[in-house]
Amino acid sequence: MKAVVLDGIVLGLAFGLLGVGMTLVYGLGGVLNLAYGQIVILGAIVVMVVMEDGVATFLAAVLGVLAAAGVAVLLDLTLMRPVYRQHGEERTLLGLLLTLGAAFVIGGLLTWRYPAGALYINVSGEPVSIIGVPMAVGSLWASVIALAVAAVLLLFFGLTTFGRGVRSIIQDETGARLVGINPAFVRTVIFALSGALAGIVAITQSMSGPLTVNAGFELTTFALIVTVVGGLGSVAGAFLAGVLLGVVNSLSAHYIGQYITTIILLGAAALTILIRPRGLLGR
Amino acid sequence: MLEVSGLAAGYLGERVIEGIDVEVRTGEAVAIIGSNGAGKTTLFRAIAGLLQPMEGRVVLDEKDLTRRPAHRISRAGIAYVPAERHLFPAMTLKSNLVLGAYPRRPDRETLELVYDLFPRLHERQRQQAGTLSGGEQQMLAVGRALMARPRLLMLDEPTTGLAPKIAQIAFEALEGLKKEGMTLLIAEQQVPLALSVAERGYVLENGRIRLSGTSAELDQNPEVRRAYLGVA
Repeated sequence: MKAVVLDGIVLGLAFGLLGVGMTLVYGLGGVLNLAYGQIVILGAIVVMVVMEDGVATFLAAVLGVLAAAGVAVLLDLTLMRPVYRQHGEERTLLGLLLTLGAAFVIGGLLTWRYPAGALYINVSGEPVSIIGVPMAVGSLWASVIALAVAAVLLLFFGLTTFGRGVRSIIQDETGARLVGINPAFVRTVIFALSGALAGIVAITQSMSGPLTVNAGFELTTFALIVTVVGGLGSVAGAFLAGVLLGVVNSLSAHYIGQYITTIILLGAAALTILIRPRGLLGR
Repeated sequence: MLEVSGLAAGYLGERVIEGIDVEVRTGEAVAIIGSNGAGKTTLFRAIAGLLQPMEGRVVLDEKDLTRRPAHRISRAGIAYVPAERHLFPAMTLKSNLVLGAYPRRPDRETLELVYDLFPRLHERQRQQAGTLSGGEQQMLAVGRALMARPRLLMLDEPTTGLAPKIAQIAFEALEGLKKEGMTLLIAEQQVPLALSVAERGYVLENGRIRLSGTSAELDQNPEVRRAYLGVA
């Protein structure tokens, strides 16, 4: 039982990290980036290619994060411009369609070019015992990175003037413009941040097992679930939802069976929409 | 200080206001008077950059601000307090004020000036903006606008939805601001209140300036008296 819960927390921190990049972009402009998983994969493939050329793992990881952030900025400056000119439902719909298109293009190109592409970052070391449960070093490192990212994001949004500006746009975009905030610029910065987070997800995911080129839509699905359950635009909500869902996932996999977990997670998302549409910590 | 000339603006290609010339001099308080739907809010939104003007120019201190986006106009020194206020409801009152100074950090002096003007805000600074009463929200909206140290403060219907007593207090605060040297442009349906603060006024009707003059002239004008002061 202890081991199952601990596994769930480790998995949940990974979920939280996965969801936070999507929830920030959604909170800021109502766009669900369906290409999010493919941006993760793009980061992973860049790291893989660079590592095959003999570049050290850490440097390769940094390049992967930068590449993912770069692609995100490119998407924001091209594809997303017409989306943000729309408002309300039209924006949401156009955003879904265009990012879905981007998902197919990025995913298709990567699968065509690297059909057997996969990133596995081998973190060597004996399992570490946490409250009597032996845990793999790779997934523990992934958890530490996720927690560090959560802490940095919370400090950034809580304490800096720019972070306050981001939150103000989420709450009232017209009000934000009236106090001198440029929503287009802030959205580009947050899209870049979201891309960088996708790059970090690529690293952490491949520390506990290989991340394959075709995993994009699965990642997007989990990010969507975390976004819905956590509440749009909430960093703390994403991680809280991630950990809750991770524990639910582990428990149901252990006591019912692995086959049921995705259905239960989707069920949790559906239930959230019915009971608490704004999510755990959403406004 | 502010010169609006030949301004036309509207929605979906339809002009709501047209040929608007308005001038506000430094240290002056100017009222825009008009009934509901006359185009007061459209005029303010066009000056503030929330709405792209179709024609005409908006110039502040000889700097052409026409067609600049709202955040640039705000940073150039025009603070606009819309009737709907557009506060940040899930943040504390204090955070709302701090954001008013964006992108700068707020200076203590301005914050104290706002708290002096509205002592109520000081008492409630830790409270979430969304939980404040209507009058307090209006005070906060004005306070937030002042945090940017604007050259010109534009207020759209500052007394809408306020009890008469609180509306009176709001206008006393505006008198106080004027004494401090703030330049004001006020749109108001409550014409007697507006004319009591303003030195001059413009009467807006069906999207055009119908009349203009000093407050005393407008107060004595038979048309204004009939239409807005309820005098037969």
